[in-house]
Amino acid sequence: MKNSGQKKKTMTAVMLFSLVGGMVGLSFASVPLYRLFCQVTGFGGTPNTEAVALPSEVSDTVVTVNFDANVNSDLPWAFKPVQRKVKVRLGQESLAHYTAANVSDQPVTGTATFSVTPYKAAPYFSKIACFCFNEQTLLPGQEVDMPVSFYVDPAILDDPGARDVKLITLSYTFHRTDDEETDKSSAKVAKASEVDRNGG
Amino acid sequence: MAYGAAAAHGEHDHHPTGWKRWVYSTNHKDIGTMYIWLSFVAAIIGGAMSWYIRLELAHPGIQYIDDFQFYNVLVTAHGFLMVFFVVMPAMIGGFGNWFVPLMIGAPDMAFPRMNNISFWLLAAALVLLVLSTVVGDGPGTGWTVYPPLSNANYQPGPSVDFGILALHVAGASSILGAVNFIVTIFNMRAPGMTMHRMPLFVWAILVTAFLLLLAVPVLAGALTMLLTDRNFGTTFFAPDGGGDPVLWQHLFWFFGHPEVYIIIIPAFGIISQVISTFSKRPVFGYLGMAYAMVSIGVVGFIVWAHHMYTVGLDADARAYFTAATLIIAVPTGIKIFSWLATMWGGSIEFETPMLCAIGFIWLFVIGGVTGVLLANAGIDFAMHDTYYVVAHFHYVMAIAAIFAMFAGWYYWIGKMSGRQYPDLLSKVQFWVFFIGVNVLFFPQHFLGLAGMPRRIPDYPDAYWGWNYVSSIGALITAVGTFMFFYIVWYTYRSGKPVTADNPWGEGATTLEWVVPSPAPFHTHEELPVIGSGGRPTTQAAPAE
Amino acid sequence: MLEKLKILVPFIALGVMASPIAASAEEGLAKPWQMNLQDAASPVMDKIHDFHSLLMVVMVGIVLFVLAILGYVCFRFSAKRNPVPSKTSHNTLLEVVWTAVPIVILIIIAIPGMRLLYFHDRAQDYEMTLKVTGHQWYWTYNYPDQGDFEFDSIPVPEGDLEPGQPRLLTVDNRVVLPVDTNIQVLITADDVIHNWAVPALGMKIDATPGRINERWVRIDKEGMYYGMCSELCGVYHSFMPIQVEAVSKEAFAKWVEQAQEEFAQNDGSSVNLVEAEQKSR
Repeated sequence: MKNSGQKKKTMTAVMLFSLVGGMVGLSFASVPLYRLFCQVTGFGGTPNTEAVALPSEVSDTVVTVNFDANVNSDLPWAFKPVQRKVKVRLGQESLAHYTAANVSDQPVTGTATFSVTPYKAAPYFSKIACFCFNEQTLLPGQEVDMPVSFYVDPAILDDPGARDVKLITLSYTFHRTDDEETDKSSAKVAKASEVDRNGG
Repeated sequence: MAYGAAAAHGEHDHHPTGWKRWVYSTNHKDIGTMYIWLSFVAAIIGGAMSWYIRLELAHPGIQYIDDFQFYNVLVTAHGFLMVFFVVMPAMIGGFGNWFVPLMIGAPDMAFPRMNNISFWLLAAALVLLVLSTVVGDGPGTGWTVYPPLSNANYQPGPSVDFGILALHVAGASSILGAVNFIVTIFNMRAPGMTMHRMPLFVWAILVTAFLLLLAVPVLAGALTMLLTDRNFGTTFFAPDGGGDPVLWQHLFWFFGHPEVYIIIIPAFGIISQVISTFSKRPVFGYLGMAYAMVSIGVVGFIVWAHHMYTVGLDADARAYFTAATLIIAVPTGIKIFSWLATMWGGSIEFETPMLCAIGFIWLFVIGGVTGVLLANAGIDFAMHDTYYVVAHFHYVMAIAAIFAMFAGWYYWIGKMSGRQYPDLLSKVQFWVFFIGVNVLFFPQHFLGLAGMPRRIPDYPDAYWGWNYVSSIGALITAVGTFMFFYIVWYTYRSGKPVTADNPWGEGATTLEWVVPSPAPFHTHEELPVIGSGGRPTTQAAPAE
Repeated sequence: MLEKLKILVPFIALGVMASPIAASAEEGLAKPWQMNLQDAASPVMDKIHDFHSLLMVVMVGIVLFVLAILGYVCFRFSAKRNPVPSKTSHNTLLEVVWTAVPIVILIIIAIPGMRLLYFHDRAQDYEMTLKVTGHQWYWTYNYPDQGDFEFDSIPVPEGDLEPGQPRLLTVDNRVVLPVDTNIQVLITADDVIHNWAVPALGMKIDATPGRINERWVRIDKEGMYYGMCSELCGVYHSFMPIQVEAVSKEAFAKWVEQAQEEFAQNDGSSVNLVEAEQKSR
């Protein structure tokens, strides 16, 4: 009986430890799951970036889209929206532009993160094409035009919580993604665009 | 008592003596004692930090701490120490180790060697944590360790890494301990000790162990990601690499909220034993009490984002977390009313443990009602990150837990040491400490309402008045704390010997009171058979 | 690195911006020995006050109720007065009641609580936008609708305070906003998480790097409103105050004219953009 008791204890312990292992796994799985969750639900101001077909109808309702730009202070870029605010009809595809300029004397690489407020409007804000999906390398003094193509889904009118939204803000923040040290030694400048330590 | 006499044969067993007895110990009682001493050591360090903080905050302007990183380190280390190295070791490692096997009629924990390593891992973690504050600049992140502030850019040096490692090791210790408790409780109950006959303290430890098992690995995972973010260039939580600092907050609080219950549920268990003993009545609504703890534990996992109302969650998410959080008030209400109903109709002896239990109810009710307020996302915009929150969580978990620890220590010290605490002095200590903490924390509600933020070394002059009162409270609390340590010293040195198995009389019905005092090295070697009411029916039953 | 920052941070007083308005009508900061919320100066804070008053009644009621039972029990059922304890160990009706009554109380709380929560979240017809960016350890404000000018708001060191300016709350360039205007506030941060909080306006929202948060505010009364960073953001966390001056719409228009001259223009023309940026670096 003593042996079977010991076995039972060990079995319980093994089960409990696998529970622990499962929870550790879950915490790591939360990274992709969280991203997925945000993309699907618009949680935390994540706009819809799946390439969706445009809705067939264009609604008469007009909303204002406000463009906001931020540059992390590590990145020597100037980054501004060309137009501050645009009025769009729901369901209508629109194009907006930002400009970015490298104001340093080095090539610099940056990537943008983005969010949409109010959060309740984020799932209805669809970006069809956008510069934010790729890393950008700008040569010294280079200035580029960055277009964003988007529409606001008329389904927002069917959402009792989000129906009242008349001003949607699309915000970008550019971060430096190349290694600053690498960047400073001019020998490695050419490689700047290849340096990507952000796989994680 | 016949049963106790039979168990006393254990005394003849020889066991290692001197330092080997402790360092190599696989005995649940010795390990429990070591946990309690570790908690005392950490309490002195963590307490000293809090008094230094209150000293600085007694007046506006900078008095003593002109290095604000050091101030943040104090705030951080105080939190870590009190949560992971004072309350958890004392209640789970200390009283849990001592009394779970005794209460369920088991000779020891299921895995005695694992028990030993649990303790020594925690001791190592304590050393690491103390080291983290002295290497480099110290971790000035708050116990929440939010990135990006905790990233290498903003907290350079090895301090935060030390802190993370300390938490990893402490977490491993907790997980091993939790597994040990669950296996012991599931497999080693004496014949007749059904789940529904287990004392509520055992239930409390069981629920706590499950919370640890589910919550701590999430913290471990998140800390590992933070560690690689800091040292190996990953960007789980760094926005410049596409990570999200808010994800850390979700993970941290997914652990952090159950952690609050990990602290307070063992306290529920102790208070239930104490109130039942000194009211000389069985706990009123036993099943409701047990399942209230279970449901608090379960719901505790789905409310985490109420710590994050201002990070920018959308309104529907906040509405959900508000509703889920409010629900917790129901089982906690059941507990409060059941304690009151246990006392109602009882024959109450106001021994010191009972005073502490009544103090606990008072503190817990105050902390509880402010918790209901804070649960509302709509009003939390006024309270978030202010002293209102500081007052709330110190009432509801910090000092409430400390009163539960006092109650447990006074209640069981006769069994643990064979000596009784000095009665009058312990009552004075209770009153000094009780008045001290209320003077200390009650005015912080006012400060919080008036808008004073947390974690600041200096404040606008208008906040001076209540801060000064609060600091006086800290002084009184310090006196109460030193009185307690004096009582500990006095009890071990010249406390009145306890000769009876059960010094508390008819109300003390759990199994630890049928073994001799002090409890011999080995107990329940011959398993008792438990009848209804959780009391042994026969003298001894064949063990194998 | 910290050492370097220490020299930088405390208080590079610029003392540029002259106040457009003389005396303020309202002082939005805590008073000595204050025990309650700061006076409301926005609809959101008004509602927070109302809800808090309701909650206070409930909370005090519950505490007094428990205290009364506790006191009665300790008195009536002490061992002296009641030597023989009762042995009842449950009473189903009683247990149902003390489960059901708290649920009712919670519903009473939850309904206005939810209403308040969604009131915060209601989208407004915005008349202007204020952009707030948190830095270690100061705030930057941007007025995109008034010519996109931008300035840093740096705390005034203790020695440079003028009489009447509160310590730890005064900045060199304060935010000026018009009263009775629906203002969209966009908040983000450059480095670590900060929190832009003005108690009298019921405003408190995290400034998180890489994402933007939005709140709305409508200030009811002219006056000066103070707040402090409300998320631990490093060494000088307690030294990055927020000072909001609410003025009439006319005075605001005048201030905008002044401010546009005062602060470097970001007029969006790209050549200037590069030059301006290079100059400022």
